[in-house]
Amino acid sequence: MSINALADTVRAGGRLTEAEALEMYLSAPTHLLGQLANEVRQRRHPDRTVTYIIDRNVNYTNVCVARCSFCAFYRPVGSPEGYVLGFDEIVRKIDETIALGGGQLLLQGGHNPDLPIEWYEDLFREVKSRYPTFRLHALSPPEVLHISRLAQISVPDVVRRLVAAGLDSIPGGGAEILVDRVRILLHCDSKASADEWIDVMRHAHRAGLKTTATMMYGSVETPAERIEHMSRLRALQDETGGFTAFIAWSYQPEHTELQGVEATGVEYLRTLATARLFLDNFPSLQASWVTQGGKVGQLSLTYGANDMGSVMIEENVVRAAGAAYCMDEIEIVRNIEDAGFEAKRRNMHYEILGGPIFRERQVPRMLELAVSRADGDNSVPAELVNYPARSRAERERRAQ
Amino acid sequence: MKEQLEKVAAHISAGQPLADADIAALAETNDILTLGMLGDEARRGRHGTETTFVRVADVQVPFADGAHIDIPAAAREVRIGGRADSFDVLMPHVRRVVEAAGGIPVSAFSLEALEADAAASGRRLADLLAAVRDTGVARVADAALDQLQHAEMSLDQVRKAGLGLARLTVQHTASTTERLEHIIRARSLQQSLGWIESFAPLGRSWKPGSPSTGYDDVRQVALARLLIDNIASIQVDWSRYGPKLAQVALTVGADDIDSVSPLDETGEGRRRSPLEEVRRNILAAGLVPVERDGARHRVIS
Repeated sequence: MSINALADTVRAGGRLTEAEALEMYLSAPTHLLGQLANEVRQRRHPDRTVTYIIDRNVNYTNVCVARCSFCAFYRPVGSPEGYVLGFDEIVRKIDETIALGGGQLLLQGGHNPDLPIEWYEDLFREVKSRYPTFRLHALSPPEVLHISRLAQISVPDVVRRLVAAGLDSIPGGGAEILVDRVRILLHCDSKASADEWIDVMRHAHRAGLKTTATMMYGSVETPAERIEHMSRLRALQDETGGFTAFIAWSYQPEHTELQGVEATGVEYLRTLATARLFLDNFPSLQASWVTQGGKVGQLSLTYGANDMGSVMIEENVVRAAGAAYCMDEIEIVRNIEDAGFEAKRRNMHYEILGGPIFRERQVPRMLELAVSRADGDNSVPAELVNYPARSRAERERRAQ
Repeated sequence: MKEQLEKVAAHISAGQPLADADIAALAETNDILTLGMLGDEARRGRHGTETTFVRVADVQVPFADGAHIDIPAAAREVRIGGRADSFDVLMPHVRRVVEAAGGIPVSAFSLEALEADAAASGRRLADLLAAVRDTGVARVADAALDQLQHAEMSLDQVRKAGLGLARLTVQHTASTTERLEHIIRARSLQQSLGWIESFAPLGRSWKPGSPSTGYDDVRQVALARLLIDNIASIQVDWSRYGPKLAQVALTVGADDIDSVSPLDETGEGRRRSPLEEVRRNILAAGLVPVERDGARHRVIS
């Protein structure tokens, strides 16, 4: 089918096949892709609202046994640079988040063999006992799977226990590209195969949780595999309706084992626009300003995105790989309004909470993102001794 | 608004001049997809898919006595900057840079700085320009139209001194009205002068707390291409704006990338070299990279 015929299909509200989406991605002029994505976004969000959330990306540990070749953040078990945040540190981060108008943590971390499911349950209960309405958007599917394997408990039971402890929703991290050929090349197949990632999300949706879905593109996959990834997500969304949003972000190569180069800004806009056309059952698409910068992040709003993502407050993973963009709420709102949209604060379920918080009360400017820990802080949380260590390195450290 | 832009597009396609109302509609639109598409059409009509870039070595003068002047072999333009209490003190240093450049085109100083030096020293701008020319420099590096005290007269002096201008620039990002004024000013200057080869419409400095937005930049580049029909090249700065914005600018009206580094980031390997990066970005935008030098000649590699 010609590009014009495919454009007509999109304009008529028809669904693109994988082959058609690939054809659009590869061959449609960038401006046409943008126009179509913009039309689809306007159909779905006719009120010209662009949302964002004030939350904080906290990485509770950087110790990880997965050793993905594209990751610059993890440290192996026993590394002197490895850390686990204490409950008190996490609580302090929540206090800071609330002070900035936030109501949620995006809590993710490495696959740390010395953190059993009880650690997560206790942490979640601690948070909820102190802040009952504060949301925990936590633990990507590979982390859930890791906990399941450590505890030798099924994924549905892990989800049930974590929800009982306070888990509110699951972030779509760890998806990378949901094609096993790619996952093997990225050394991330062992943390979760494509089927396993999908299966965790299926169980989460069945348990009533809402989740997001991500795609890390631009490493070793082909364009067809990007579309295959989206196809897996679209099929599950048809089945469960549990995804709230799709977030595409470009592989960040600095300081990684894999190295290579980052996909360009135009490739990002084309990928985003194609996602808007193909993922016709996803209500929201986020702009990844944290990997693209504020300017391309804002331009995303004309290429299909209807959400500027998170103020973040803190970010560690992307920064470790070389990107260090920062936008506080004032800057995000400025970009939204400058593009002719109305800025609305939301929660993880994309329920509107109100207008910008800085117009209701004074909040401090934030010109750079916080990090998990200050350099040189090697402290070990006191409560860790309450949980059995599985790794030899951690057992030896405790014996000293 | 979309209908109005389509009407404007029809005017542009027919080669008709734009009315003030049309220009105002373009300057205020948030429909940057349509605006960008118009800018892209105008750019392709003039340059096709060809996209030039130049690798520039920046050298600051004065330098310490006996200092070695290291011009990277990959540089295709040497650009001299710097100030001193006495303008004349700089000239021997400039001459040494020209010698070290070994035939690579050399540009030097901003015209507004030379204007300021002339005013401060009580000398004629023409004399300073002549002194610069006599060192072997071929072009004034840049002239910020919002900073020049006497833009048309000073640019005329550049020409009379036998020098060229690497590019006309804008120093500060500003309001929509001022941005449009800069574009109209650039066009007007060219109507008088006729020899300006390149205009870089994005501001070269900005307030850290409120930088220009992506929409601002796209709008400015596209407007510059659409409204300035008498300057051949619309330029974007690679090092100042970064690969992502520079690449997007190429899709909405820009045709030339300035300030690509001549130094490879050797620690990151060849694939990280600026030359590979700039070529990759141009190709990924569906365009064809062509390296040029500071004299706007193609580099045959």
